[in-house]
Amino acid sequence: MSVAAPEEGAAGQVRVFAQYDGDVRERCDVVVVGSGPCGSVMAYELAAAGLDVVLLEEGPPYTPDDFALDGATSMVRTMRESGLRATRGTLLTTMQANVLGGGSVVNSAICARPPEFVFEAWRSNFDLEHTGREALDPHYDAVADFLGIAPTPDDVQGDRNLLFRQGCDALGISSEPIARNVRGCVGSGECFTGCRARAKQSMDLSYVPAAIRAGARVLTSVQVQEVRAQGRRVTGVAGQIVAPFTGKPGARFEVEARAVVLAAGVMATPVILQKSGNLANGSGQVGRNLQFHPGTATIGVFPDPVQPYFGATQGYQSLHYLRDGFKLETLWAPPGVFGVRMPGFGHDLKRRLAELSRASIFDAIASCHNSTGEVRARRGRSMNPSLRWRFDPQDVQVLGHASWVLAELLFAAGAHKVLPGIHGVAEEMHSLDEARVLQTREFAAGDFVNASTHAFCSTRMHGDPSQGVVDEFGRCHDLDNLWLADTGIFPRCTSVNPMFTGMALAHRSAGVVKEAL
Amino acid sequence: MPLGQAVAWILGAGLVAAGLWRVFGGHPQPAEPPQRLSRRELGFLTAASDTLYPPGGAIAESGSEAGIPAYTDRYVASLPGPVGLLMRLLFFLVEHATIAFWAPGPAGWRRFSALSPEQRTAWLDGWRTSRLPPRRLVFTSLRAILAMGYFADPSVLRQVGLAPRAIDSPVVEADLLYPPVGRGPEAIRYRREDLTPPGAARVLALDAPLHPDYAPRADGSAS
Repeated sequence: MSVAAPEEGAAGQVRVFAQYDGDVRERCDVVVVGSGPCGSVMAYELAAAGLDVVLLEEGPPYTPDDFALDGATSMVRTMRESGLRATRGTLLTTMQANVLGGGSVVNSAICARPPEFVFEAWRSNFDLEHTGREALDPHYDAVADFLGIAPTPDDVQGDRNLLFRQGCDALGISSEPIARNVRGCVGSGECFTGCRARAKQSMDLSYVPAAIRAGARVLTSVQVQEVRAQGRRVTGVAGQIVAPFTGKPGARFEVEARAVVLAAGVMATPVILQKSGNLANGSGQVGRNLQFHPGTATIGVFPDPVQPYFGATQGYQSLHYLRDGFKLETLWAPPGVFGVRMPGFGHDLKRRLAELSRASIFDAIASCHNSTGEVRARRGRSMNPSLRWRFDPQDVQVLGHASWVLAELLFAAGAHKVLPGIHGVAEEMHSLDEARVLQTREFAAGDFVNASTHAFCSTRMHGDPSQGVVDEFGRCHDLDNLWLADTGIFPRCTSVNPMFTGMALAHRSAGVVKEAL
Repeated sequence: MPLGQAVAWILGAGLVAAGLWRVFGGHPQPAEPPQRLSRRELGFLTAASDTLYPPGGAIAESGSEAGIPAYTDRYVASLPGPVGLLMRLLFFLVEHATIAFWAPGPAGWRRFSALSPEQRTAWLDGWRTSRLPPRRLVFTSLRAILAMGYFADPSVLRQVGLAPRAIDSPVVEADLLYPPVGRGPEAIRYRREDLTPPGAARVLALDAPLHPDYAPRADGSAS
């Protein structure tokens, strides 16, 4: 895709909050709910095929002037529930973006294809015949070509990413530059608060404008609260216009359509179905099987300045331990986020904070198949979910193993101390010997500050209609013209960052929707 | 009234008065009128932020000098009602939990903001290292809010070398489609001829100038 000039009047195909002066009614072939990575791919592919598409998004579009550089303000503006969403059971903080482009606006653009063993587990456990790497590779390729997905080049890695490579080399484990949907990265490390350099090909800059060029209409600041159905067919969606940032509800809207694609996200799609009279739930699986990739991050402090403000937010990764249940990555975030992690008080704390310019942060995300939960609609009008999740003790040990490897990696990269950020062990470790406690300790879920932005499986696919909500092409088993297209349809977590797989599956599903219409 | 009953009434009234004083009394007036938080909540935040980030040391500013109480006031005002309420309950809980968990030293039952700096540090450290996960969670939640506020201060960010750099955002196709948040399409200020040509991006230099909001003011005062 190259920089393209939109047709004159294309801006008229986008409606924003300031333009609504009463109830809204639209009619189309396909209404797509959610403009995140999966919904945007769907909207573009279907519009490009000549279908009349309406794309709905609860959040507003953002311009660079709208990005807030401090973490807390950014989360209030771009996330549902101000970025303070958490599960009950085992406490885990998680997020759902609320902006045109969805999570792609505030993620670090990682595009990873899961290895075949992940799909082999999907196929053998969930009666799926057509969902393997070989079958999906053409769809990954199509999305990669469109977004310019490529490995992060060395000139924007910066020291903190290159130290990861150095550590992996020293330990003799594999590593690779992270492939990202980025064109012309300047290395500002600001992916999580929105790319001011407009290099990240988030959906609002890529697939959504392309969908508009292909004729799609985009309604922003609209919250879908109901899917309407008659018998085995859905007839459209309805909801309310909501104000940016505050979510204050206003006038009503409805969209009649020949087909509906729900791509509202793992934590919103089940709520919409449950609030629509428990729609598509013949299997009883809507909202169940919720999985995450819980993560842990370790800070390494190096003798020399690392200048961590420069470099790709996440530029290097290692898949070496994927079969052991975790993936290793580099990480950067707004400084306040790391300020939260720094142990201690008073002048000790300040001394540690002043060392941030010599710090590099590596993290691990764990494949926690045994740790599951559920998404439930709350009573009343709220569309926010009630989440429950339990961190299985076996999976906790996987994260414990990962924390040992992270410490090993940081020392191998030349760190003179590491801060594991885990309750019950030393706050600062000055040698590998000191860190060995991470190798032998029996960890509890509460030892970690649990967080995850990767969520899965709340409307899972399954070949058996009594075991899953959708088939492997995203079509609901119970309804002829309702498709689901977000990472909720994954039958298990992907072990790697999920965005790319979600987009590839959406690309494939779009072909099926086209044929069905 | 029998003497015993009178004494009980006097003691009861005294306890109520002490309770009211504990919650409402003796808080300094803030310099700026707050947006959402009360004077006593700002007083608590000043005490908590200066416990975590005292004056001097590796970073010059204390928590209150870095504007954490005012930042938190704006932050809470921006939160949806129930979330903001939970946050204020958190402040109340920490301010008054000394009734149940006394701080070490004399009169450790006083509200948190009335304790000495040494007592505050020791008491909060007890929450941080507690074996009870809910107590650690309370501490982590409080520290998260204070840390976000501390690192929102431009001077703090400059001192740790992490202030954002100036970036000229190129004009892309999306800028011809979307107005700024809250505005209508008449606020779209770009046209086709304004589009930045592909390949114009330049990698950020290590000595790139700071973002204007984070640069020192021309008169040398702290921004």
